[in-house]
Amino acid sequence: MAEAGRRRGRRFTWGRARKATQAASLLAFFLLFIGAARQAVAPFWIDLSFRLDPLAMLVQTLASRRWLATSALALVTLVASVALGRAWCGWLCPLGTLLDVLTPRRRKPSPAEYLEPWRAAKYLILIAVLAAAAFGSLTLLILDPLTLVFRALASSLWPALDQIITMLERAAYTIEFLRPPVAWLEGVIRPGIFPIDPVHAGAGLTILLLLAGIIGLNWLAPRFWCRALCPLGGLLGVVSKTAIVRRHVDPACSGCAACARRCPTGTIRADRGFASDPAECTVCMDCVDVCGMDVSVFRAAPPKPAWAAYDPDRRQALTAIGAAVLGVGLLSSDPRRDHTPPHRLRPPGVVDADFLRSCIRCAACVRACPTAALNPALTDAGWEGVWSPVLIPRLGYCDYSCNACGQVCPVQAIPPLTLEVKRQQVIGAAAIDQNRCIAWADHTDCIVCEEMCPVAEKAITLETAVVDGPGGVEVEIKLPHVDRLRCIGCGICEYKCPVPGEAAIRVYTSVPALF
Amino acid sequence: MSPITRRAFLRLLGASLGSAATGRWLAACGVAPQPEAGLPSVPSAPATIALPTALSPTETPAGAAPTPAGIPDLAVARGGDDPAVLVERALAALGGMARFVPSGASVLIKPNICVAYHSYEYAATTNPWVVGALVRLAFDAGARRVSVLDYPFGGSPDQAYARSGIQEQVLAAAGEMLSISRLQFLPTDIPDGLDLRSADIHEQALQSDVVINVPIAKTHGLARLTLGMKNLMGLILDRGVIHRNMGQRLADLTSRIRPTLTVIDAVRILTANGPTGGNLDDVKKLDTVIASPDIVAADAYASTLFGLQPSDLDYVVAGAAMGLGRSDLGLLRIEEITIGG
Repeated sequence: MAEAGRRRGRRFTWGRARKATQAASLLAFFLLFIGAARQAVAPFWIDLSFRLDPLAMLVQTLASRRWLATSALALVTLVASVALGRAWCGWLCPLGTLLDVLTPRRRKPSPAEYLEPWRAAKYLILIAVLAAAAFGSLTLLILDPLTLVFRALASSLWPALDQIITMLERAAYTIEFLRPPVAWLEGVIRPGIFPIDPVHAGAGLTILLLLAGIIGLNWLAPRFWCRALCPLGGLLGVVSKTAIVRRHVDPACSGCAACARRCPTGTIRADRGFASDPAECTVCMDCVDVCGMDVSVFRAAPPKPAWAAYDPDRRQALTAIGAAVLGVGLLSSDPRRDHTPPHRLRPPGVVDADFLRSCIRCAACVRACPTAALNPALTDAGWEGVWSPVLIPRLGYCDYSCNACGQVCPVQAIPPLTLEVKRQQVIGAAAIDQNRCIAWADHTDCIVCEEMCPVAEKAITLETAVVDGPGGVEVEIKLPHVDRLRCIGCGICEYKCPVPGEAAIRVYTSVPALF
Repeated sequence: MSPITRRAFLRLLGASLGSAATGRWLAACGVAPQPEAGLPSVPSAPATIALPTALSPTETPAGAAPTPAGIPDLAVARGGDDPAVLVERALAALGGMARFVPSGASVLIKPNICVAYHSYEYAATTNPWVVGALVRLAFDAGARRVSVLDYPFGGSPDQAYARSGIQEQVLAAAGEMLSISRLQFLPTDIPDGLDLRSADIHEQALQSDVVINVPIAKTHGLARLTLGMKNLMGLILDRGVIHRNMGQRLADLTSRIRPTLTVIDAVRILTANGPTGGNLDDVKKLDTVIASPDIVAADAYASTLFGLQPSDLDYVVAGAAMGLGRSDLGLLRIEEITIGG
């Protein structure tokens, strides 16, 4: 295979083919991210990358105790890894590609030896992720590389880019002759690429910090994340231990060490006869390209005894399980988990009590929400629910003509509802603060909440009352009331309430009717 | 000191821009959208003749072209099953679209597309064929460009344009649906405003040669009915301010925008749960279109469709008092056309 490629001439190298595939994969990931808004692309494609992710699908299935036929797609990745090793990591993973691109130019010739034992950490993290999932917690899926990148795009980089572009547009719009091109640009990017109004995302900074930290580890060693920490890499590493197609070094090897210098995962080492561990190798094929003797080849061969250099011992594995279980216990003792904060609203159709057992924190719903009402929680959902989506009506309302979040959710944590059914979902219930409401407190007509209420028979009604107006003169005024049996908690009243700061009408976590 | 290389300079520049952007981004995090400041100010229209504080009902309002002899002040077309025919007949009675749209004019048509929730049968948004007919008539009169826009408060504009059915009819008539952005609302003085003295008004409303206002007649919690003057609220950014002293402030806004023609779609009217609607039981089919260059007169007439008097609507009263139009239906020349007898 490799030789055939090289014989075709100088133009073909495995490195070029791999880089082209990586670029195409990253671009596809990015385009699907863009297409996730406005459902420009069918949900099948938007979810594709998550459903190909065996870690997210396996862990989600474990935690939710619910088997989804759509998750079976991840078996493709697993089977491919049994056949080809960690090719996913080297050829397709968007985070892996980002790490390749963002590698320091002047890197140390060989990373410090003390980093080697860290390779075991990814297995320990994987064990912890699986153990936590067995106890119903998906919190550690924030370390899944696909959700990591998508979430950072959706909640950190996109809002930042949106604000930067808005700033530039505002500046340009003050100049008369620049208005037509700016207006044209606006028409292109809104609402297709950005929401109609600039996005705000409260947890954006923390989400980006995790990604930045992972990129920063590249300065310790190239792809340090993939070598040592990535739980998906760990899972694919386990099934790659006996990979069918794997690297072989011919006895004719001259020992020039070109491959060892080039290997981005550092698994080719002179002290091991330039052989490589299939669980560490990302099948980037750079070793084949640089080998002057054509002795470094990938070919199918009967499985050799597996490498075991980085396997965690029993004590480490038990420690990881214990730590995960302790962590789940600690997170569960967070009062915000079971004592729902009064304004913690979940996407439409979600039952809060079960949500954290099925949400993989991928932020696809956040990206799809046309009003930017869905935000990754920072602490609203307790530490267990960090970066799980909450609906914040002051930032955006649940659009009565939209059911996108349930359509794009790759694991049906947000149920895929038809628009008709979604319109009947009760997200919460609005209540008016009569001490702050313009009509109730200032005796001045307002009625914005009633006007905005989208339900067919308005859940906000107006009572005409005669009250003391300014100067003690009696005035007729319209006082808003919420009919809690009709309110669906979409939050457009809270979003549009003209009272500055906290709205005078707020959506509260709905309480099941007790009668 | 070593000279600064280009690379070092660019790095510094990038770092400073990046930190400025980060600061701005951090400041923006978790903050609800604020009304913009710092947009260019558009000079107000050259001051017109000072408006008299009150006009007798028979006087021609200042700023409006006098109605040619033999042509009614207001036309009402009823009946039939084609909204486009209603528009054509009403406009014909008023002397034809060419009276309002000069050859080569840029025309803005402002329907009511307030939400993206329902199709036109629910009478929350203007009838698509009424809008389509106006686009066609404007082009027939020689318009250079006919644009249609609204700024929905529920759902996004593109969805609202599509779901209302208006986009399809406008595009079929070769008109243009304008995408809308907050940038396009320019701080504007309202020199004749008695209470509302400035507002962020959409640039198209200020720059188009002709504005055709096409509301649908429906109920509203505060204004009682949303008709022509209320429909102009879709052309400003901050609608919250209009909710205080609404009657006067709507009249103030009308004094700045002054639509050339108002066509009220009463093919279907929404009699309850407006302006958003959603229940077909609240919809009444009247197959009626009201057209007039006088926005106050059109609103005054439309109030009667709901069993109200013009004086029941604060904005009609305020508009008439400011001389923006006439509300005394008894003194207006009204031509009623019945189609299909």
